[in-house]
Amino acid sequence: MYRRVSIRLRKHFVSVFILCAGLVLSTLTVSAADPAAGKALFQANCASCHNVHKKLTGPALAGVEGRWADKKLLHAWIKNSQKVLATGDKYANDLYLAYNKTAMTSFESFTDADIDNILAYVADEEKKGAAGPKVEGTATAAAADDSSSNSLIFGIVTLILAVVAIILMQINSNLHKLAADKTGDKVPEPVPFYRNKAYIALVIVILFMVGGYFTIQGAIGLGRQQDYMPEQPIFYSHKVHAGINQINCLYCHSSAEKGKVAMIPSENVCMNCHKAINEYTGPDLFTAEGKKVNGTAEIHKLYDAIGWDASAQKYTKPGKPIEWVKIHNLPDHVYFNHSQHVVAGKVQCQTCHGPIQEMDEVHQFADLSMGWCVNCHRTTKVQFADNKYYSIFEKLHEDIKNKKIDSVTVEMVGGTECQKCHY
Amino acid sequence: MKRTSNILIVAALAGGALLAACGKDHRKPGKIYMPDMYESRAYEFYNGKLANMKPVEGTVKRGEMLPYHLKEADTAQANAMKNPLVNLTAADLAEGKRLFDIYCGICHGQKLDGNGPLYNGGSGPYSAAPANFLAGKVAAYSEGRIFHVITYGFNMMGSYASQLDREQRWKVVAYIKSVQHPETAVVAAAAPAATADSTAK
Repeated sequence: MYRRVSIRLRKHFVSVFILCAGLVLSTLTVSAADPAAGKALFQANCASCHNVHKKLTGPALAGVEGRWADKKLLHAWIKNSQKVLATGDKYANDLYLAYNKTAMTSFESFTDADIDNILAYVADEEKKGAAGPKVEGTATAAAADDSSSNSLIFGIVTLILAVVAIILMQINSNLHKLAADKTGDKVPEPVPFYRNKAYIALVIVILFMVGGYFTIQGAIGLGRQQDYMPEQPIFYSHKVHAGINQINCLYCHSSAEKGKVAMIPSENVCMNCHKAINEYTGPDLFTAEGKKVNGTAEIHKLYDAIGWDASAQKYTKPGKPIEWVKIHNLPDHVYFNHSQHVVAGKVQCQTCHGPIQEMDEVHQFADLSMGWCVNCHRTTKVQFADNKYYSIFEKLHEDIKNKKIDSVTVEMVGGTECQKCHY
Repeated sequence: MKRTSNILIVAALAGGALLAACGKDHRKPGKIYMPDMYESRAYEFYNGKLANMKPVEGTVKRGEMLPYHLKEADTAQANAMKNPLVNLTAADLAEGKRLFDIYCGICHGQKLDGNGPLYNGGSGPYSAAPANFLAGKVAAYSEGRIFHVITYGFNMMGSYASQLDREQRWKVVAYIKSVQHPETAVVAAAAPAATADSTAK
């Protein structure tokens, strides 16, 4: 009898053991939430309104579990925030008011495990954020510009060469004199160089040429601003925006294909992105003088100008205009239309403005002189294909078809008519 | 003779040094002559004192689409709005794609998958995930609702009314819908394309 019982017990013990082990394992998998699965859920469902470290449409999620008194309540809130608000919970209602009564989307389909996974991902990111980013680039300052020291060296070399040349000339004339003395030739008394007519004439000619050169250059340069690179009120880098972040030129300068001017974008266009991007994390920025620029501080200059409070995510005070300095100036007697060049002419921005996507600070690339415009109009071939603007020039098309001409320049369609620019 | 050539060399070197030393301050715009021709008294935009301005309240530009009267909160009516641009051609959809790629693709991705270069799977500078047009909640938005969101913005997204005029916005909406439902778009695009051909002949 006793034996039987013990055998039975032993049999049972095995099955009980297996059962217990299974239970323990299953509880283990439940409690150890999976941050990787949470990441996928977070990216797909939460990330458009929440960030772990930054306040967006909704609050930053770092420390969210600590802020809610009860984990069950947090789960209920995520599944349906309106139900929690209806219970009159104080924290929930305060939160709702603080975010302008923006209701959080309900996620009834989430299981408790899903929510735990997401919270595990948030906690993970929080730890990473506390340890990770603070690695500010400590790159050394850009190399000092060489151009000024170069011209100094050239000047010194020139002076030395001039002194050497004068000494050699003196030696030369002395040797002549000695040679003449030795042979007994009669040499006329040398005239001092300041009374030598040849010298005086030469100096006058040189002065005339140098003076004339500078006068003419100065006159041509009047009103031309090639390489003009004014200091802007905010260090806006086209390299960061159009180069690194690949934003199309037209995104900000949208009227370049609609009207005469390419338009300096209004601040609401900046805020399309800078509502969320409130710090600069790219490579170090330097002014043309080699001074380091704090990108985050420059973004906050924008916030100051338009009265945006980044921590409250709200416009809190009236804005004031940002006084950007215009770089490309044409005299008023010249008419230039961006849309005609961009839409009808299909000219790339860089053709006239240079490699703008590589410029931290923009400078005027072309000299914008009349000769520059006319030269381009003389050589640019009109793109007739799929371009209704030129449909009236069918004759030219026919001429090309009949092999009378092989291509058409802008000049042939009136590109050098005076009234095109002067009207 | 030798003396003259020596002097010429010295003069040329001196002149070269003068030119090389002649630096230019790139921070200054330089000088103009006859300033009244540069800054005329005629009224012009971008003259240093005047930049972007809104059109006069209540006016409509010639050839422009009529104003959109729904307010930001009128989402229910917006949901029911229909695209007033009927008979869109393939060229119109191509224009919609071009505009989408410029103004929307930077965040929402040129594939409409909500993963543009600024977000880049969370590693880009933009910290909020842009909406995905191909799956999830936003994929079910009606064309009127998408137009409404482009006009007024939604959550983190700002208004694009200052960059895209009403006709352009509807073209973008039509393009998004044509990618979401290619089967209906092809029909709409094919018929007007045929008529365009017949007028050309």
